[in-house]
Amino acid sequence: MSDKKWFSLNIGKEHKASSKCGCGNASGSCNSHDSGGNAGIGEERVKDGFEQVFEVKMDRRSAFRKLTASLMIGAGAVSTSCSMVAGDEAKEKAQIDWEEQFKGNYKLMTDDEKKATVDRLVRSYQLRTGKNIKMSSKDAQEGVLFGYAFNISKCQGYMDCVTACVKENNQDRNSQMEYIRIHEMKDGKGLDFGEADDNYYHEVPAEGHFYLGTQCFHCDNPPCVDVCPVQATWREDDGLVVVDYDWCVGCRYCMAACPYDGRRFNWSTPEVPEEEINKNQHYLGNRLRKKGVMEKCTFCVQRSRSGQNPACVEACPTGARIFGNLLDPNSTIRWVLENKKVFRLKEDLGTEPKFWYFMD
Amino acid sequence: MMKSNLNYIISLLGVLFLGMQFQSCKHKEGEYHSINDKIESESKNYHGTTLSSEAFLGDIKTVEVTEGAHSFLIPERKSHIKSYACTECHSKPLNQMQGADSEEYQKAHWDVKMIHARELTMNCITCHDGNNMNELKSLTGARIDFNKSYQLCSQCHSNQFQDWKGGAHGKRIGGWAPPRVSMTCVNCHNPHQPAIQPKWPARFNTQKVLERK
Repeated sequence: MSDKKWFSLNIGKEHKASSKCGCGNASGSCNSHDSGGNAGIGEERVKDGFEQVFEVKMDRRSAFRKLTASLMIGAGAVSTSCSMVAGDEAKEKAQIDWEEQFKGNYKLMTDDEKKATVDRLVRSYQLRTGKNIKMSSKDAQEGVLFGYAFNISKCQGYMDCVTACVKENNQDRNSQMEYIRIHEMKDGKGLDFGEADDNYYHEVPAEGHFYLGTQCFHCDNPPCVDVCPVQATWREDDGLVVVDYDWCVGCRYCMAACPYDGRRFNWSTPEVPEEEINKNQHYLGNRLRKKGVMEKCTFCVQRSRSGQNPACVEACPTGARIFGNLLDPNSTIRWVLENKKVFRLKEDLGTEPKFWYFMD
Repeated sequence: MMKSNLNYIISLLGVLFLGMQFQSCKHKEGEYHSINDKIESESKNYHGTTLSSEAFLGDIKTVEVTEGAHSFLIPERKSHIKSYACTECHSKPLNQMQGADSEEYQKAHWDVKMIHARELTMNCITCHDGNNMNELKSLTGARIDFNKSYQLCSQCHSNQFQDWKGGAHGKRIGGWAPPRVSMTCVNCHNPHQPAIQPKWPARFNTQKVLERK
């Protein structure tokens, strides 16, 4: 297997021919691993996974770091595979950990590889907790470009969207992470975010105030993507700006580059009570994150790619949130863009957010 | 000698400047100047998607509405009215029932209090038809079906009606993909008291308070 993208261990299944392939897919569909593919990414299309990790010049510090992490997993794998006591499950777990550690960037994966990593993550969750989750790797559909409109005359500041978002996207309950912020602004003062209050607690709507929500705007020219040193975040064909949580190194350049405060960082291991976990997940969306990676609104990719509205749109009781396909000339979002006086935040930056505000 | 040099420099600058003009306004990737250009150009040959929001609608019954160029679905209303048909009680026209003593007839609709426009402007029979309680009536006396009560509201609230038809007012049900199902006026606004009362926000972030101390 010269075209294999990463080195794989085969713990306890040396005799199975089909498991030789790194994608862990036993169905034999792995022969679609070709390292050609899209131009534009260049060099890295060829170097992937194992090679990307090891065949680079690095300083001693980062080399040690990478080696330590990998050695831990390697040692774990070796010790379980050589152990007579370790059961099949422990061996499988070690195998999965190994494959996950050395898998490639999601953006470069073939459909089979995407399916394989999703299968591994589902199986890994099952092994660890005994519970089943559903995870999708559904790609962008042709003829879809997602856009969002927010009616600042309608928003009343109820924050039902925030609650729905936290639940839907399995956000860390400990640090009370929230993708959406609702800013309470004084009438007649313009859009003054410095003066606005995004953590009010009183009866709403408050006299003489209006409410404006911000989240990731899924810019068409996203500065966060440009600054990522490892290409762990990118814009998909349907316009969603997504993060590969397993490729992110947690440098937070994107957080600094975002002019809209759209990105969040996991300073600690995110915790969600088992009974509250949303088990309908997407690899690029609400699957469980780990410590030290970035995350943000994905327009609920696990919902929107199947035709459903994002959780915030569904939860809003006022109808202030409008979501749809910008390429469909008959969509409601297009009607709003063509008939209401819309504006976006910091339009002069040229980031081209796909998130418009309007008034009645 | 000097002059030819100057000419040379000027023409070089001119070429450079022209080159910049063709290059500068393009973003690094993609071929469009702005998102509006991209939307306009890529939606020219739009021929739909395979996605549908039908699965997310649940078991609500809908009726189709066609207003101008817009055609979409709204939730059906009549089957949710507790004791429809109204004529099961309102067997006589309203004015004959009103005159009756309270002992003879049970007082009905005591819980309905009108807080909608001024008393000078509206009362029950502005919308309800005293002679046919099964239907509503327009200001000019035309019949309006309970399922299409938006036709009543739109008589005064014409701006909201425009926005609702286009999709800027009124929440959508299910998903963004077709078919479009939008809530109708009375799904959110009680027609007898259409104003929406203030309430407390759903959450408060205590961690944010700590972080900002």
